[in-house]
Amino acid sequence: MACNSRAARANEILPDWIWLRYRRHWPVLSLLKTLAAVVLGAALGLAATFAAVERGFGFGAVRAGPWTGWPKTGSRDADPYARAVLSRTGETPLGSAEGLGFVARGDSSGALLDPRCDYSVRGPVPAARWWTLSAMTPEGRLIENPARIYGFTSAEIVRGANGGFDIAVSRAARPGNWLPVAPDRPFVLALRLYDTTISATASALDGISMPVISRGRCE
Amino acid sequence: MTRREAILDWIAANGPWAAGVLIVAGIVHIVSILAMPRLAPRDAFARMERLAPAHRMTLLPAASPEGGSPPFEDPALVQGVCRYDLAAGPVRLRAELSSDVLTLFSFHARFGQLYYSMTDRSATRGKLDVLLVTPAQLEAVEANDSEDELPQELRILAPTLQGFILARALAERAGDLDETRKRVMAIGCALAPAAGN
Repeated sequence: MACNSRAARANEILPDWIWLRYRRHWPVLSLLKTLAAVVLGAALGLAATFAAVERGFGFGAVRAGPWTGWPKTGSRDADPYARAVLSRTGETPLGSAEGLGFVARGDSSGALLDPRCDYSVRGPVPAARWWTLSAMTPEGRLIENPARIYGFTSAEIVRGANGGFDIAVSRAARPGNWLPVAPDRPFVLALRLYDTTISATASALDGISMPVISRGRCE
Repeated sequence: MTRREAILDWIAANGPWAAGVLIVAGIVHIVSILAMPRLAPRDAFARMERLAPAHRMTLLPAASPEGGSPPFEDPALVQGVCRYDLAAGPVRLRAELSSDVLTLFSFHARFGQLYYSMTDRSATRGKLDVLLVTPAQLEAVEANDSEDELPQELRILAPTLQGFILARALAERAGDLDETRKRVMAIGCALAPAAGN
């Protein structure tokens, strides 16, 4: 019998005695196997969703040096992954006409930002009416510090004679533009360009010079 | 039976099941990603519903190290929100803006879509006048337009009845925060009188 022999072949992974004893229950076994496949598939699918949402932000990332931005999240054509992530964190992105946000998790050499080291952030900044730089935990929270300095705006920054600036990111107080971080907590830097001309052409970010993050002394 | 035959047999027996598992996993993954904005209990709209009454400007709490606000918020921005429900009628947003203060506006639909955004530069001679409408309301408003005059207001079509407008202004220094809060609160957001009345 052709159809039966296929069923028998399908069960060669089972020991003979099981097959002989439970042959009559084959439809039930088959149903159980289908159920198991559906449950396993659903679990895998949900695990993939969870992993994607935890990792954050999906497609359309734009990289420039150490900075990564997601210009499309603030527009009508945000991808489904970005929308899923935002719906979970409650975040409201910057609209494409409002500006563009970037996050740096490493310095300009590619090494992860280390709270035991000093960093210096120097221009140039792409053309924007205003910009702000702040230090945050990797989850996007502000970092507690006694000075209660969480970030700088382009208007309050102390500039050199040539208009350039240098922001010192350090756990210890520094003269000039000091952006404090906690000695024991990892951090990231968030740069936001408000009312900038580059948001419209963000796919062509290669030619644009972003601030350089260079590592200084480490403890 | 050789080892190779045994492997092929195993694949013949279980391949369809494995493929079934993968197909189910793919469908569940895609459906859950697409459904998330509609099902998420703590999305931005839910937060605005909790923090702000409808049809008026409300200040949102500033980002702080203690948390409580969504991640990656700029501590230099003062945020105000106007939640709306267009079932009650069109919503008018009015502001007098100074070009010295960066003011940002973004329009969010019920399920996380940001459908329009602009800055204070969209104001004409320092005045911003926006009417937020549904397609049906837009028809009613346009039916009332005078023939020889262009409408002075910016009309925006909302994709969902419910949603919120976020108005954010930049405080250049920590000392400017109070002044900036006043500026955000001075932005008017209210139900517009029904057209034709």
